[in-house]
Amino acid sequence: MLLAQIIVNGVLLGGLYGLMALGMALVWGVLNIVNLAHGAFVMLGGYIVYYLFTTLGIDPLAALPIAMALMFAFGYLLQYVVLNQIIRSAMLNTLLITFGLDVVLTYLAQLGFSADFRTIAPSYAGANFGLLGITVPVAPLAAFAIAWLLAGLTWLLLNRLPLGRAIRATAQNLVAARLYGVNPRRLYAVTFGIGAALAGASGGLYGMISHLSPYVGAPLTAKAFVIAVIGGLHNPFAVVASGLIIGIAESLAALYVGPTYANVISFGLLVLILVLRPSRALRAA
Amino acid sequence: MRPRFVILLVAVTALLAIVPIVGSPVMVQFGISTLLFAVLAQSWNIIGGFTGYPSFGNSVFYGLGVYGTAIAMAKFSLPFGVGLVCGAILAMLCALLIGLPVLRLRGQYFAIATLGLSVAMAAVFSNIEIAGANIGLILPLTRADGMFYELSLGLLVACVLCVFWISRSRFGMGLIAIREDEHAAASMGVNTTLYKTMALVLSALFTSIAGGIHAYFITFVDPASAFDSTLNVRMVIMTVFGGPGTVLGPVVGAFVLSAVYELLANWISTAAALLFGVVIVVAVIFMPRGIADLAAGIRRQGISYLLQNIRRYRL
Repeated sequence: MLLAQIIVNGVLLGGLYGLMALGMALVWGVLNIVNLAHGAFVMLGGYIVYYLFTTLGIDPLAALPIAMALMFAFGYLLQYVVLNQIIRSAMLNTLLITFGLDVVLTYLAQLGFSADFRTIAPSYAGANFGLLGITVPVAPLAAFAIAWLLAGLTWLLLNRLPLGRAIRATAQNLVAARLYGVNPRRLYAVTFGIGAALAGASGGLYGMISHLSPYVGAPLTAKAFVIAVIGGLHNPFAVVASGLIIGIAESLAALYVGPTYANVISFGLLVLILVLRPSRALRAA
Repeated sequence: MRPRFVILLVAVTALLAIVPIVGSPVMVQFGISTLLFAVLAQSWNIIGGFTGYPSFGNSVFYGLGVYGTAIAMAKFSLPFGVGLVCGAILAMLCALLIGLPVLRLRGQYFAIATLGLSVAMAAVFSNIEIAGANIGLILPLTRADGMFYELSLGLLVACVLCVFWISRSRFGMGLIAIREDEHAAASMGVNTTLYKTMALVLSALFTSIAGGIHAYFITFVDPASAFDSTLNVRMVIMTVFGGPGTVLGPVVGAFVLSAVYELLANWISTAAALLFGVVIVVAVIFMPRGIADLAAGIRRQGISYLLQNIRRYRL
């Protein structure tokens, strides 16, 4: 029973991890930017929901779309004004500039929001119900459902809408897309904005399940990176599904070998996958 | 290289060498960490700058250097020099063993696989009894900052000379060929596996010695600080800031960024890290190819190179 409970917890948490990785995978796949500030975006989204909830009393789930809209605007501007300047330079430069952004955002958050731990705690945050002898917590379940919902919306956007077609075309061949009338500056900004919006949504959910501090970003970036690599960069459902793998693996590792090994397990899995099946992982890029 | 430039370099080195005699203790301690950072950046340059493999596993080599030295000195009472050799051998063996499988990966995948190794290594060392597990090891205390300073300077000079040799040698040409196009390099007869592995082993050698010197200098080691992956990020930043794939760029990058950070920390301690981040962002936008390239470009075609530099990678 304990094992089943652990797996349920891992699956619910893994959905949220998958949602975090979704935005990163989208930006990576289309713009070829590994956004090291992605975790900081998650953190910012969490704080937006937190303040909407505590000062204006907006329910966290209702605040999610607002946070997503704000983060979209933030991501759009950031890409349009700053990142488009260097997008064509070597990968190390984009790594470096997003790392710099991560440092800046983290410290601005520390100055603005203080380093205290915050939790988004609506009345239903601690609620749960029993199902076949397993306790199912409500908040992680909601996060899990929203993760799949957003993955589905992202899939619809990418595969069924003209904007999505433009995004996929640009990812495949920038020059050809340009010849067909795509404005890459705006399109890149929109894509980066969507990535930031997804990060913002996952931040709000993360704040309900865990706690927020200015420093939660970096470990979440690493986790999102691992999941994005395992899931590949082009199918939103595969990304969320590989989030589940990591969620389950970490929960099992915390139970059987001790919580200090949680990171080792996810990175170990990643290295194994990369080294044993490099062609498959590389083709996804 | 022009003779005037060589004389200038020798003069700068001599000036740096007399700092412990004329400078204050604070200056010497700042100097030690700066020189060691320059060594770390320069060794990262061998694998990351010349070969084009963005390694995040250099903190593994650093940690092995730290632990090799610390275990030899604290557990077996061996002298410092022997400890450094132990750490270096450990790190080079590790580079050989992990290099063969991991160097088959490219780009971001290589980066993340090596990052994973450094995370795993920290966990492994926090469970090894002889390495002091989670508590760490304490080394014999010495008050010889001057000695540490000269040692770090000597290591940096050796490292720079090695990179200078690489930049002029057939080996270095092979590494650059691998960076530009690995398949083409292989078809031209470059033994890519051998070259890449050798670059990683060389990088591990200097990185681990720097780790060993730092371990004895601060006389305390623990897994979290020995295998700290942000240290690796700093190596990358300093190299890219100065100019990857150049001989002096990484050293200049390390000196400038260390000085900037130190000044900011003295000036406004609360926002130092914030401004450090801003400096990185601005530097990437204004000199995407590093200081070394900017200096060469401005000498070649004047200040207009700065504008051209910004426009080059704009979408």
